Amino acid sequence: MTEPIAPPIATEPTAPAAIEFDHVSRWYGNIVAVNDISFSLNAGITGLLGPNGAGKSTMLHMLAGFLQPSSGNVRVLGQPAWGNPEMYRRVGLVPERESVYPFLTGYEFVLDSARLHHLANAEEATMKAIRMVELEDAMGRASGGYSKGMKQRIKIAAALVHEPDVLLLDEPFNGADPRQRLHLMDLLREMAANGRTIVFSSHILEEVERLAEDVLVIVSGRLAASGDFREIRKLMTDRPHTFVVRASDNRKLAADLVSDPSVYGVELQGNDLQVRTSEFAAFTRAVAGVARRADVSIFEIRPTDESLESVFSYLVKR
Amino acid sequence: MMIDSTIVRLTMRQLLGQKRTILMLAFALIPVLVALLYRLNGDHVRHDPQEWTATVALARLVVGLVLPFTALVFGTAALGTEFEDGTAVYLLSKPIPRSTIVLSKLLVAWGATVVVVLVSTFPTGFLALSGEPQDGIVVAFAIAAVFGALIYCAAFLWLSIATSRALIAGLLYVFIWEGVVVNLFKGVRLFSVRQYTLGIAGELMSVPKRVFDPRLQGPTAIVLACLVTGVAIWLAFRSLKRWEIGETS
Repeated sequence: MTEPIAPPIATEPTAPAAIEFDHVSRWYGNIVAVNDISFSLNAGITGLLGPNGAGKSTMLHMLAGFLQPSSGNVRVLGQPAWGNPEMYRRVGLVPERESVYPFLTGYEFVLDSARLHHLANAEEATMKAIRMVELEDAMGRASGGYSKGMKQRIKIAAALVHEPDVLLLDEPFNGADPRQRLHLMDLLREMAANGRTIVFSSHILEEVERLAEDVLVIVSGRLAASGDFREIRKLMTDRPHTFVVRASDNRKLAADLVSDPSVYGVELQGNDLQVRTSEFAAFTRAVAGVARRADVSIFEIRPTDESLESVFSYLVKR
Repeated sequence: MMIDSTIVRLTMRQLLGQKRTILMLAFALIPVLVALLYRLNGDHVRHDPQEWTATVALARLVVGLVLPFTALVFGTAALGTEFEDGTAVYLLSKPIPRSTIVLSKLLVAWGATVVVVLVSTFPTGFLALSGEPQDGIVVAFAIAAVFGALIYCAAFLWLSIATSRALIAGLLYVFIWEGVVVNLFKGVRLFSVRQYTLGIAGELMSVPKRVFDPRLQGPTAIVLACLVTGVAIWLAFRSLKRWEIGETS
């Protein structure tokens, strides 16, 4: 496992962290889903980022008390997460599956959630939660007929109805349209500003970038990086990149590019030119100027390894 | 509190608001139709109506068929459907003791099974015995079926938590174990909910052995029924406490 880029969010020495993973592993038979992960989180928004099958959901399920760690300890608000229903008084969960009770209206779904929490004023809390996700217009309709985005919002309302200190969301923006997505992001930011701990999983870099202050990058069940998102983003951007360039005179462009400080390797391959750079931004700024000065026209320029998986695997290898 | 009214209401809407209930009630009418045919055909003149009612209509058709099948459907659906469609997570992520969830679900499954079984028992019994001495046969079977429904529902509810193949396991138990194996080997009657139910029914009626002779004596049946119900409920508590997401869904 790599060393964290920055220390995880600072924890107060007197109070236990809101969320603690202490050398946690989880395996299914011979398959290791989560491998010796440790971190602690407090108030704020943390994104759990990683490709599909990386172990994000397994981690969230352990946090939510729905999976027992094979080894190590998971604690939420100082209490063990596994086998402890009392924990849910202060924890809200938005599962990934879009299923809701199809025969309940949105209002009934949230109201039942409030009642199961034995809230003193369940109706009032229900309306407040529904207003937060802006679903008042559809709250009287059976939730079985909701769109994917509406189901997502009513699930969030049900998870917020008891105003939890810790909110866990598994891929919460699936199916939400761009406006709903922005609204939900604002809502989560506001909750975090009020001192709540929010953890959400996503395999979409941009979602995490827009919302999370801190990030845990999970790859193949291991913690590949953790800490401030900007630091991790910089790492991802400044990693070695390879571009394929096709120009009117590949040989001449290659000769000029090789002297650019952002370029550390150039190779002619058939009709293409492969350019290797360690500074993504500097290269993309410089390449047009180099071509102009060399009087060469660029027909095509494209990065070769921009999949999220390649970004993650780079972080793991570091 | 051991029973949660929200869970009860939610489960009732889940179980009873569907085609399932109509199908179950239609299924409950099969013994009634058989009893009607028995009367219309004049078979009651050729056979002892008390014996036919007790051993065929109520013991075989109601206790042997309607009761276990209805309990299997309601018992496994009460919580099993929520595991299948993923909605169980909403219930399990609330600060509610797992025992309360189990008992609330059991109450609804039991209640629904009892309604269906009684809808089957009373018309079948009264129709088959119309104009004949009752000797407490119908009431005895009705009371025994209420107990039988509880045992079956507790066992099937546990199965639905413990395995995603609860329906298949339940069908094998009812139709292979109770329907075939118990008839072949006398000793295994101690492990048959049907035999407990019949034993309790036998204890509650006052008819000679030629009319109805259950394989288990009443006191033995009652003790075993209580024991098995208690163990099934305990296993259900234990399984739900240890339930992990993805296990049965």
